[in-house]
Amino acid sequence: MTGSLLLQSLILGVLLGGLYALLAAGLTLYFGVMRVVMIAHAAFLVLAAYLAWFANSRLGIDPLLTLVVTVPLFFGIGVLMQRLLIKRLRPATLTMMSVLLTFAIALFIEGLVGFVWGGTQRRIQLSYSSASIEIFGARIAVVKLIAFGLAALSLLALYLLMKHTRFGQALRATIQHPEAAQLVGIKTEGVAGLGFGLGLATAALGGTALSLDATIYPSLHWHWIGPLMAIIVVGGLGSIPGAAIAALVLGVGQSLLQVPLGTTWAQTIFYVALFVTLMVRPQGFFGGRLAQRF
Amino acid sequence: MLTLSACADGGGGSGGGDGDGGSDDPIVIGISLPLTGDFSEPGKGVQRGYEAWAQIINDDGGLLGRQVELKILDDQSNADRVVADYEVLIAQDEVDLVFGPFSTRLVVPSARVAQEYGMLFVEPAGAAAEVFEQGFDNLFYAAPAIAQDHYNYLADEILAMPEGERPTTVAVASMDDPFAQGTAYGLRDKLEEGGLEIVVDEVYPPNTTDFSPIAAKIADSGADMVIGGTQYQDAVNLIVALQQLNYQPQLAAFSTAPTNPEFSEAIGSKTEGILSPTGYTPDATWPSNVDFVEKYTEIHGNPPGEDEANAYTTGQVVAAAVEAVGCAEQGDCQQQLIDWLRDNEVETVVGPLTWDETGKPQGAHLIQQYVDGAIEIVLPGETAEAELIFPKPAW
Repeated sequence: MTGSLLLQSLILGVLLGGLYALLAAGLTLYFGVMRVVMIAHAAFLVLAAYLAWFANSRLGIDPLLTLVVTVPLFFGIGVLMQRLLIKRLRPATLTMMSVLLTFAIALFIEGLVGFVWGGTQRRIQLSYSSASIEIFGARIAVVKLIAFGLAALSLLALYLLMKHTRFGQALRATIQHPEAAQLVGIKTEGVAGLGFGLGLATAALGGTALSLDATIYPSLHWHWIGPLMAIIVVGGLGSIPGAAIAALVLGVGQSLLQVPLGTTWAQTIFYVALFVTLMVRPQGFFGGRLAQRF
Repeated sequence: MLTLSACADGGGGSGGGDGDGGSDDPIVIGISLPLTGDFSEPGKGVQRGYEAWAQIINDDGGLLGRQVELKILDDQSNADRVVADYEVLIAQDEVDLVFGPFSTRLVVPSARVAQEYGMLFVEPAGAAAEVFEQGFDNLFYAAPAIAQDHYNYLADEILAMPEGERPTTVAVASMDDPFAQGTAYGLRDKLEEGGLEIVVDEVYPPNTTDFSPIAAKIADSGADMVIGGTQYQDAVNLIVALQQLNYQPQLAAFSTAPTNPEFSEAIGSKTEGILSPTGYTPDATWPSNVDFVEKYTEIHGNPPGEDEANAYTTGQVVAAAVEAVGCAEQGDCQQQLIDWLRDNEVETVVGPLTWDETGKPQGAHLIQQYVDGAIEIVLPGETAEAELIFPKPAW
């Protein structure tokens, strides 16, 4: 492997890892707040990407502008989903039943997208799709940079929201100990709904970022949900910083492994990391006690 | 079954015996096609091609002075049905000739039936290598080339370049798919034999969406030439990823995708110099093709596609043998037709065709290249619409 290829792969890995980080952050949030395994997260991601594609190719709108609509829309859908569906699951079997429920939702969205836009692969064509900037001999595609920037900004906003707002404190309290949170006067039910909406809003952001430089098709979400699930387990369930760090490490790892191993085998890094984590440190490398309780 | 066929023979007395007597009975051609089921779309294309062939040849006075009549059954894309269909057509209906069905899966079992009855079997679809490994001595594939040979003209052109000018390093990336790999590896192996160095050789699963790492490898190798064993979207993604890395090869060849009308728009019109093999183009200047495209367009209102052209080619191949041998009936005649095709070249809408002893066509696909924003045939020289551009301009 030459130095320039190493640098190029490293850069591609960081850019990919940034996107993984944003997507995994939403996924770990659902679990943290509600102990919900949200299989449909990636399906919403693909839905957001389709909306961005539709706005761009059929209405001539820049895909980033669709965020103005999709972020509030997805937030609303998230709150409603929690209130109308998730909340009705019995607490004793919540985690397991949420897999079934969100699996059904994922299938529903996949079918809906296929029905409305067909099963062919789509890709947004922008005037700057193939543009790139050069850094130390490596090339960074402008669209990938925009996607990474969007992911980084969203993660930062999420971090600030969690750390420095009353809502964020309530959310974190709910994640750490729901009963104790209730004792100090936090309406955990309402907080959970908003937390769910927040998770889905990150799917809107991630999907739009994804659509800038990727081919989309209705069943694409199955391709994403596995690695994302692996990331949040490695990072520690419920830990947003853990998910972000694990995402970056695994994203870079995947990108570097692709050079010697090829595309097919490089994908397995997520599952190897998952197995190793479960064997060595089942609670995840950055998470806390959450995973141990299950 | 035996009595039934004997009955039909005695009662009808149609094809067989009267043929050589120069009667006015039509020549009946038996065909089974997937008009419903999985292959119905291409199956109907083949049907249009066969019917156009029959109509055009009948308007022209028929075959051996007799009119041609097609007897087409629907095999529902089912391999058991296709066997039964050809049994019925040959033994019971006593057709004078048979044409092949669509797709490898149906060609192999039906060719076996035709072989048992000693019938000539020319088929319009079934490019996979396995078709020619079954030991058929009656089968001929009526298309220019099997997948491995699609790029032959390009390979010859590159290897004919003077040592100092021709590309020396090649990067290959192919989808894990028999057809896509067939095309790419055919070219790769010929270039490697010719002394070029293969510096990247990647295979990716069909669901791959992120081509950046593959593109990074290719760009880093600085290969003079890139070969993509691609279908459609993977080619678009790979090319955009290569452009993002500002990789500028001297030659870039991708299968299938560049012939798609949406291709140019999908990669932002940066298509200049991209090469692609094609089995058929309505623009090809083979003498019979100009005539075929004109008459087909008159009948259907649009030019023929590859399925239609391959079906028409099947008709042309059989017709050439029938006219040369002077018979069209079951029995000894069939072996004479087979022997004639073994030794002769046939002019068709996809160019002149010859076959080896397994029925594998000995030709290659035309090579197209994007020149000034339009896809033009650049190889072989005698049918070229434009000069091959080498080295390819930056994309």
